[in-house]
Amino acid sequence: MKKYVLKRVITAIFTLLAITLILFILMQLMPGSPFNDEKLNESQKAALYAKYGLDKPIVIQFFHYVVNMFKGDLGVSYKISKNTPITQLIASRLPISIGVGFAAVFIGAIIGLLLGLLAAFKRDTAWDTFATVISVIGVSVPSYVFALALSYQFGFKLDWFPMLYSAKDVVRSSVLPSVSLSMFTMASIARFTRAEMIEVLGSDYMLLAESKGLSGNKLVFSHALRNALIPIITVLAPLVVDLMTGSLVVEKIFSIPGVGSLLVNAIQSNDYNVVIALSFIYSAMYIGIMLVVDILYGVIDPRIRVAKEGD
Amino acid sequence: MKKKLLSIVLASALTLSMIGCGSSAVSGVSEQNDTTSNETDPADSKKSAEGNLNVMIETPVESLDPQQATDGTSFEVIADYTDGLMQMDADGKAVNALADRVDISEDGLTYTFHIRNDANWSNGRPVTAADFVFAWQRAVDPEVASEYSYMLSDIGQIVNAQEIIDGTKDKHELGVKAVDEKTLEVKLNVPVSYFLSLMYFPTFYPVNQTFFESCADTYATSPETTLSNGAFILDEYQPAATTIRLIKNPDYYDSDKVKLVALNYQVIQDSQQALMSYQSGDLDTTLVNGEQVDQVKDDPSYKAIGAGYLWYISPNMKEVKELQNKNIRYAITMALNREAITTDVLKDGSAPTYTAVPMDFATGPDGSDFSANQEKFKDVCRYDADAAVEYWNNGLEELGEKEITVTMIHDADDAPIKVAQVVKEQLETTLPGLTVELQQMPKKERVQRMQEGDFELGLTRWGPDYADPMTYLGMWVTKNANNYGFWSNSEYDEIIADCTTGSTAMDPKARWTALYRAEKLVMDEAVIFPLYTQCNAELISTNVSGIEFHPVALNRVYKNAEKK
Repeated sequence: MKKYVLKRVITAIFTLLAITLILFILMQLMPGSPFNDEKLNESQKAALYAKYGLDKPIVIQFFHYVVNMFKGDLGVSYKISKNTPITQLIASRLPISIGVGFAAVFIGAIIGLLLGLLAAFKRDTAWDTFATVISVIGVSVPSYVFALALSYQFGFKLDWFPMLYSAKDVVRSSVLPSVSLSMFTMASIARFTRAEMIEVLGSDYMLLAESKGLSGNKLVFSHALRNALIPIITVLAPLVVDLMTGSLVVEKIFSIPGVGSLLVNAIQSNDYNVVIALSFIYSAMYIGIMLVVDILYGVIDPRIRVAKEGD
Repeated sequence: MKKKLLSIVLASALTLSMIGCGSSAVSGVSEQNDTTSNETDPADSKKSAEGNLNVMIETPVESLDPQQATDGTSFEVIADYTDGLMQMDADGKAVNALADRVDISEDGLTYTFHIRNDANWSNGRPVTAADFVFAWQRAVDPEVASEYSYMLSDIGQIVNAQEIIDGTKDKHELGVKAVDEKTLEVKLNVPVSYFLSLMYFPTFYPVNQTFFESCADTYATSPETTLSNGAFILDEYQPAATTIRLIKNPDYYDSDKVKLVALNYQVIQDSQQALMSYQSGDLDTTLVNGEQVDQVKDDPSYKAIGAGYLWYISPNMKEVKELQNKNIRYAITMALNREAITTDVLKDGSAPTYTAVPMDFATGPDGSDFSANQEKFKDVCRYDADAAVEYWNNGLEELGEKEITVTMIHDADDAPIKVAQVVKEQLETTLPGLTVELQQMPKKERVQRMQEGDFELGLTRWGPDYADPMTYLGMWVTKNANNYGFWSNSEYDEIIADCTTGSTAMDPKARWTALYRAEKLVMDEAVIFPLYTQCNAELISTNVSGIEFHPVALNRVYKNAEKK
């Protein structure tokens, strides 16, 4: 197990380095530059390129970047928040995106799981139809539609929750964005749970367990649910990263100072350092979560672990 | 063993999740308690509070460093808490602010500003001439690499500014000097008729050297690293923040006139949310977009505010032989129904424009607006479908072609997308055999392609940097980077040079007449096809008064604003 984890961690580090290099090359291919404002003349542009080291060959830039990165320095923003260290920008914004995203995953996973179980146990009843309808809506309606609808109904009409994110009222002002973001998670989880549970409930080992005299909660939780969870974790993991790294549209609608809106602004204004740093962090989180998922598989299903250890 | 491992993993996951939940919840609750102990309900008190003005901005501040900032939002916030030598009055004229007297030498080359004795920074230190010298040297310092350094060189014509930017002279050789603590002397290469109106531009605002150096790299990134000498003091801010709060500066020399207790900025990028926030009372002013105007245009709080931007189409006359033909260019400009673009498509109060310099920003020596007369070029720029077809057929004959296809590039933003589609439709309907293909792209890419000449038609805009027609006319001289059409006319170049550095520069009236002549050359040659001057549709609550709107430099000034 240890060897397996170590191998995965080393692979992850090399993957990240490769990603950084690719990002660097992609930045060069991006049209425009951070400093091509119509009003700048050539000597001004040259001064700006020199100031940020963008006049050096790409290989040297990359080398400097990686060296600085190991020192914890991700450079400064060129444009969207001039000369602010990116670590500072991300440090103040990432926790907000993670907070809202975590709440969304939490709400979505719990409700989705319950809905899925309900649908599976009350298969082919009105409950099942109800759960299916909810999941279809949740999957097919984009989160910004929910965001606007919730904002109009519960923010504007009823005035239960603030329409905009506020650092002075984090809990209440996170409710609407988290709920809007949770819909997709909830729907996906509900669908998968239902499908998996139905399959598991119909399997031979459930019949065996039942015939051994097991029943009720024990049967559901330690036999059925545990086996149904594996595919659900696979679905949940990327959702967790997606939500925690911030949703552009929902952040925009609720004016959340998170990292999702930061990335899009940075791309639009060719703020290379911010784009690279955020993409890097996204990749790192993704790879990290995938690693955790692989390890969790092993915990839930020993067969997977054994198979991998045999590699 | 397996069970143990499972329980460890689950337990740690649970703990982690609790930490995650806990920290945000706890901090939220404690902050909520803080506010509730002071006020009853933060939301309600904000809505009703007299003297607390809540305004929306579309984008976060890019920089509060006056020599680094380049965008309208940053300039507006910086000017809330910083005064320059001059400030804008309600009509956009430069009036004394930190300077209480200005002496201008007879040759127009030396300006001596006398700084008022009661002007102080919020740390109690006096505002001195040295603060200006330090700030202006920063503005041209190649190490600082200010994007607006051209305000001191090309536009302000301060002695040695260009040489310092180019790196051939030291920044201490800049033509600005502290004669004594309260007297600042500025030397110019040539007389600049609008020099005083540059003084309200934030690039020229003072920075206290001692304070700046005490902040090291963190200058102007938080209320603690910011000094005020203006109407307000920065109270809450962090880089790229979505909310900014300023409070009244009690030590401001003009504080009797400041009625607001606090000024709150909220970044809102979604127009629907902005309108709802306004309607629920969370905001006192908001921008509305084209679709929303229909809903609110009968509201007494609805206003169309001039934004100064001229939108125009630039034909590439170097690479595209069809566009080198003057008849074709006339045909295109006369086939454009500008009225329809502003009333049916934009609907935000934007004004159809038939001149190369837009209206309402540059006032001449006789006090009249440079472009008040929109019919002065009606021979060459008007909507006239019949004339357009005639020019078109003549042009096609000269070229020996029957059909022409041109591509127009434009920004991938709301308004330009809509405008480009109407332009395409108007041109294709009026001019037989013309096909206009549209290509949308991010603004940065569009600007780069136009500067490199890699386009046929380009939909672009230009905002005035200072209140003088030269901010537009200076663009179309030979080889200027923003002369996208690569037009070149020696007579035009001479007029512009003469008005900038020649003898005409000294005589305001003759200069004004010469600038009219220059504009006529641009229009007669159809170098650009002007479309409209942009307006912003705003809602301003009826209990709010005194917000001053300007198309140049500072878009909104709150010093005299009041909320009842």
